Amino acid sequence: MSNWLAELTAVFVKDLRAEFRTKVSLNAVGLFALTTLAAVSYTIGPYRIAEADRPFLLGALLWIVIFFASMAGLDRSFVKEEETHTAALLRLAAHPLVVWAGKLLFNLVLLIVLMAILVPLYCVLMGYRVESPWWFLAVLATGGYTLAVTTTMVAAIIARAMSRGALFSVLSLPLLLPLLIFVIQGTTAASQGEVDGVLSTLRAVISLGGIMTVLSVFLFPVVWND
Amino acid sequence: MRLNDALKWGLLVWMAVVIWAAFQWAPSAVGFQGESARIVFFHVPTAWVATLAFLVSCVASILYLWRRDPMNDVRAASSAALGLLFALLATVTGSIFARIMWGSYWNWDPRETSITFLLLIYAAYFALRAAVADPERRATLAAVYAILAFVTVPFLVFVVPRIWWSLHPDTIINKQGTIKMDSRMFQVLMGSLIGFTGLFVWLYTIECRIERIRQRRQQELL
Amino acid sequence: MSGSVSIGFEGVAKRYDARVIFKGVSGDAVPGRILVITGPNGSGKSTLVRILCGLARPTVGRIEWRLGREPPMARDEWRRHLGVVAPAMSVYEELTAMENLQFFARVRGLGPMEPRCRECLEQVGLDPDRQTQVMGFSTGMVQRLKIAQAMLHDPPVLMFDEPGSNLDPTGQDWLEGFTRSAADDGRTIVLATNDRCEMTWGDDRVELAG
Repeated sequence: MSNWLAELTAVFVKDLRAEFRTKVSLNAVGLFALTTLAAVSYTIGPYRIAEADRPFLLGALLWIVIFFASMAGLDRSFVKEEETHTAALLRLAAHPLVVWAGKLLFNLVLLIVLMAILVPLYCVLMGYRVESPWWFLAVLATGGYTLAVTTTMVAAIIARAMSRGALFSVLSLPLLLPLLIFVIQGTTAASQGEVDGVLSTLRAVISLGGIMTVLSVFLFPVVWND
Repeated sequence: MRLNDALKWGLLVWMAVVIWAAFQWAPSAVGFQGESARIVFFHVPTAWVATLAFLVSCVASILYLWRRDPMNDVRAASSAALGLLFALLATVTGSIFARIMWGSYWNWDPRETSITFLLLIYAAYFALRAAVADPERRATLAAVYAILAFVTVPFLVFVVPRIWWSLHPDTIINKQGTIKMDSRMFQVLMGSLIGFTGLFVWLYTIECRIERIRQRRQQELL
Repeated sequence: MSGSVSIGFEGVAKRYDARVIFKGVSGDAVPGRILVITGPNGSGKSTLVRILCGLARPTVGRIEWRLGREPPMARDEWRRHLGVVAPAMSVYEELTAMENLQFFARVRGLGPMEPRCRECLEQVGLDPDRQTQVMGFSTGMVQRLKIAQAMLHDPPVLMFDEPGSNLDPTGQDWLEGFTRSAADDGRTIVLATNDRCEMTWGDDRVELAG
């Protein structure tokens, strides 16, 4: 068991170190998010949306930016291994679930960094007032996890295909559509302080995340080892 | 062979009767614009078959990953191809009906969202298949994706709270599960459902047979 | 070394849709001997190596890895007993030589293994460059690092695909010595090559028609 942790950490640290030295994913994801935020803020800004629509529309826009920023960079940890031909040696050295867990952790960190920068900026620039910040964070956290676990599986799949950039988005978005609907509802509820709404969202998102995690444990080795 | 032929001709006769009944035998529905309600006899079965095809595809995918029999991949892909076709038909017939009844082609009510979702999944499934050259790898990746997609469908269809008013007429099954349709209409609908399912099974069987022959010829190269 | 491993393969064929790469390939790789796989370009030598490693599945055919006299191992066990050097299998360019080896050691569950990593680097003559990023290596240096990576965990099976490519004559001589002594230690060696000199190292041969 302790071996697994060390092995998983090795994969995670390796990806982190490589990313730190090249900054490709961070740049892709970060630049996409900031550019989109600038565009949205400039064209819509804090004043154009009617007060009644604000909780919902601002929540929806936030998650759309997060989702598309993820599409810009969350597949990289797998695609890079295949493109630079390092995947083969990794396959021979590591247990598949170690690879899965290490790269999932990497994607989670990437997403956390993205959200940590994007969300406060968004709230400030768009004048997004959130009544229940802790519930808001809960939706972000659970939604982020489910997003990461789903995109990790899809990234593993497309890395084995002749992936052109679009394939990652094409495959991810249908799987993420229910999640998107849930988290938008949850964020809307959190911004209005409706705890019931948030709780029902959290239930749905956590069960979706849980199911995806279990499926990943079974299906990732199949995809990785093929 | 004789049984298959009999079934094939039987299907033809059945569908002919259904089509006739849909236009002539079933009464006009009250509360709908003109005769437009008759589209339900074709719209509902296509939506049903689209969903059934997806189910078949997923079961075949699971079987493929379990036993690695190439025929299961053939089954998954054939079923998905038909599913895509029927999902398109369901979307189009539904959209036509929506235009006649409510003046707009599309409204994103839960059922419309579900069928779009199914379409997106099918499209993604075939995009993935097209992107993989190696047949075994293609089969494996497609099977995994089908299973992942299958798991998200219940969430969209059942769990997404129907907090918005739905345009979809609940003439078929309402919340208590009772059936509110006129009995003749109900009979024609059931008949159409059976007929379309038969149509799916027939097309699916042919598709699988063609693919099996193609695979056998390729295998013979070895 | 974890014990001697023998590999048997029979009737192995690989096809991509309508294109047949090879068919009816059989052979045995036994401890202490070098199995050479030869064939013209495009005959599928690299593909066969990948199949024997467990990285790809054959379209038809059987491959069996046995540890000693035990029943055949499951495919996902093969990698523990295997070290591979191949052109299509790279090491991490953004990491240094030492970081690469330590990563592979850690991810195999062997811990950082610093002394062993340094020992391997010394053997291939890369110890002075161990803190340099692989990005800055010459192709010869990269090849030597790959060899170090393959022997890091002391595997009973070594598979080489064009191992002498990118090595200068000194390096190639060293490689020949290394391969022969590895075989003498009781390891099972598989060597896929077009090089006439390397072909002579083999005790057994499998030829792909192409």
